[in-house]
Amino acid sequence: MKEYNVVITGVGGQGVLTAANILGWAALRAGYKVRLGEVHGMSQRFGSVISYVRFGEDVYGSMVPEGKADVILSFEPVEALRYVNYLKEGGMAVINTKPIVPVQVSMGMAKYPSLDEIRRIFEEDFKAKWIGFNAEELAEKAGHVVTTNTVLIGALTQVPEFPLDAEHVREVIKISVPPKAVDVNMKAFDLGIQAAKDILGL
Amino acid sequence: MAKVSDIVLWDKPGEKVLLLGNQAIARGALEANIAVYAAYPGTPSSELTDTMAAVAEKAGVYMEYSTNEKVAFETALAAAWSGLRAMTAMKHVGLNVAADTFLSAVGMGVEGGFVIMVADDPSMWSSQNEQDTRVYAKFANVPVLEPADPHEAKEMTKYAFELSEKFKHFVILRTTTRTSHARGDVVLGELPEEIKQGKRKFGKFKKDPSRFVDVPANARNFHPIILEKIEKIREELNNCPFNWIEGKEDAKVGIIAPGLSYAYVKEALAWLGVDNVKILKLGTPFPVPYGLLEKFLEGLEKVLIVEELEPVVEEQVKTWAYDKGITIPIHGKDLVPRIYEMTTRRAVTAIAKFLGVETPINFEELDAKYEKVKPLLPPRPPSLCPACPHRNSFYAIKKATKGKAIYPSDIGCYTLGLLPPLQAVDTTVAMGASIGIAHGLSIAQNGSLSEEQKSPEKQVIVATIGDSTFYHTGLPALANAIYNRSNVLVVVLDNLVTAMTGDQPNPSTGETPHGMGKRIPIEEVAKAMGADFVAVVDPYDIKTTYETMKKALEVEGVSVVVARQPCALYRIGQMRRKGEKWPIYQVNEEKCTGCRACINTYGCPAIYWDEEKKKARVEPTMCWGCGGCAQVCPFGAFEPIEGGSQ
Repeated sequence: MKEYNVVITGVGGQGVLTAANILGWAALRAGYKVRLGEVHGMSQRFGSVISYVRFGEDVYGSMVPEGKADVILSFEPVEALRYVNYLKEGGMAVINTKPIVPVQVSMGMAKYPSLDEIRRIFEEDFKAKWIGFNAEELAEKAGHVVTTNTVLIGALTQVPEFPLDAEHVREVIKISVPPKAVDVNMKAFDLGIQAAKDILGL
Repeated sequence: MAKVSDIVLWDKPGEKVLLLGNQAIARGALEANIAVYAAYPGTPSSELTDTMAAVAEKAGVYMEYSTNEKVAFETALAAAWSGLRAMTAMKHVGLNVAADTFLSAVGMGVEGGFVIMVADDPSMWSSQNEQDTRVYAKFANVPVLEPADPHEAKEMTKYAFELSEKFKHFVILRTTTRTSHARGDVVLGELPEEIKQGKRKFGKFKKDPSRFVDVPANARNFHPIILEKIEKIREELNNCPFNWIEGKEDAKVGIIAPGLSYAYVKEALAWLGVDNVKILKLGTPFPVPYGLLEKFLEGLEKVLIVEELEPVVEEQVKTWAYDKGITIPIHGKDLVPRIYEMTTRRAVTAIAKFLGVETPINFEELDAKYEKVKPLLPPRPPSLCPACPHRNSFYAIKKATKGKAIYPSDIGCYTLGLLPPLQAVDTTVAMGASIGIAHGLSIAQNGSLSEEQKSPEKQVIVATIGDSTFYHTGLPALANAIYNRSNVLVVVLDNLVTAMTGDQPNPSTGETPHGMGKRIPIEEVAKAMGADFVAVVDPYDIKTTYETMKKALEVEGVSVVVARQPCALYRIGQMRRKGEKWPIYQVNEEKCTGCRACINTYGCPAIYWDEEKKKARVEPTMCWGCGGCAQVCPFGAFEPIEGGSQ
């Protein structure tokens, strides 16, 4: 495989970097050349964040160029929309539909777009496939809201032609999280897989 | 996955691991048998320093968080003079702080290998300017190495020590955000026995005043030495393992790709499906090795230099070509932007234009589509964390000054006090500048207390500065303000760590990677310097903080208020690790009148507006339980959830 590109977006503090790191290790263990691109520092403080995961024979730089992402995996709907231009035509959007309202919106200085509008832009204007669900709810169902990123990674593994095997990714999560958090993360992972399967009709 | 601090010390040569560029450099330094490491953290260099701190004790390396880059530079330099391999690291603007020593000592050279890691931040993801360290390298006549990926960063680090020792000269290892903060597959090499055993290496300084005392008579000898060294190094770099020619040997067009740009050029050519090109991959943007350049240019009809920021390579190539009478077109900054970071898109666009072919996708079309999305996007700038003590300090300062003061601030998390609703930052310039600027503003508008002529009006000036920044460069400025008697309130936002860069310790913390150092309380320093008013407050108590600010503002002269409360992000992280819980606040809907005082004057990211109910609400997953909202709400609507915790 020449290259596979995932763009992960969300709000600083949601676990975007952790998700990227887990996918990176999974890809490395599967024998691929890997590049992850991250931004540290100021933007991690509850601002909009983007992280890149790239693997395959032909990866060099750490950033996915606009129009080249196979998947956008987003922890927050507006943060998905902010980076919609990274997706290639026909790419897949795996989205946590639970919004985090920015301070500027609460102050009445800006508006938060409707979920329907966000979905329409992805599907119609950018010809993307949409896998949207409330991952936070599923994480709570699994046992803890911090497993939202595990739910989303579970869903990601069900994307058609995703090169990493779900069981392989599961192993990496198992050895990445603290021992006492393994069970809740495994549950979250399964719930994510199921959510994606339901939406994709698998 | 294993902890990075373990991986970096793995004695598993040949093992492939995933490391951040900065962590790979740390491993490279260990493989090179480094003895002393000193640095002040700064994005995007900090993870190198933190990794060194995490492994120092086990590896037998002395590591310190210095108070600023100049001190760090001197610490490492003196170790290199003592025959040890030593390294310092900083962000690009850190080199400005260290520049005096850097440019004065370069002619003295070193005994042990001395590597200066400087991380540039094109596009300024976490910085105040976009300076290109390669220009400094050229200015100082010091070679600069720039890796194209994390593995090369590790290998280059080892090479940098060898090069430095061979020529007894400084070597800069320059990265950018996209190498420092890129993770990639790195193959581990051999660790030296001393590192494996954790054996500390000690050095010996041999006196030589003709070399180490830069009085003019000695210093006049330095410049010729430096120039001779750099030309010898230029020769040496013809055979540097990080410089090579690749691609079609009989190609008529060539691309020069220095540093990380090589990665973008490779991707761009693959994306374009073009392979009839010759590439000069340059790991050493300064000095450009002319021998290799000459070989590369053989048979070429035109050349493109794909270079990030300043035309450092371009100017060397063009100058050399002119002197040689080479007249083929050499493109560079006419096709490649000089501002902001390099991207694959930029590389592919420049190369497509250079070759006269189409870009692989229609970027203009994509941009046009995205232009329609932009107006729908609410901004989400970074913000002070929930429970951040700085928010409370700013809130109290604004209230005590009725928003009418001038608020010079500084470099750190608290720069975010700029944003609405706090808007308590009027100037930031560089580390420590808050106090100097506050002093200057006061002198300009109020005059000095030592002057006889008084200004008719008094302008209140309140500077804010963090604990780490205070020790970094705030000290001389505070001494100056007190000595020259301006009228300012200096609020030191003391969260007991260097928070912005990842909660590193500093003199206000007291801890060091080697155990306890000495804690230096900021208020004691202010008192000893002779400040006219000194107080310590807990910003979680907003009322007392406000009253103390009022009192401080009544005093003529320099007042110092230390607002001390641990960084919330650091505290919550520690509580999470220990499995401890904290209270969560929620809005009592009966008490909330929907006045939005919490949102419009306080601005905690955990509080949001419920458009349907027209009430404030707390996002429970984001509340870190400081209770500031409960103190700010005029109607007592914020209440801790009974037994509620995260």
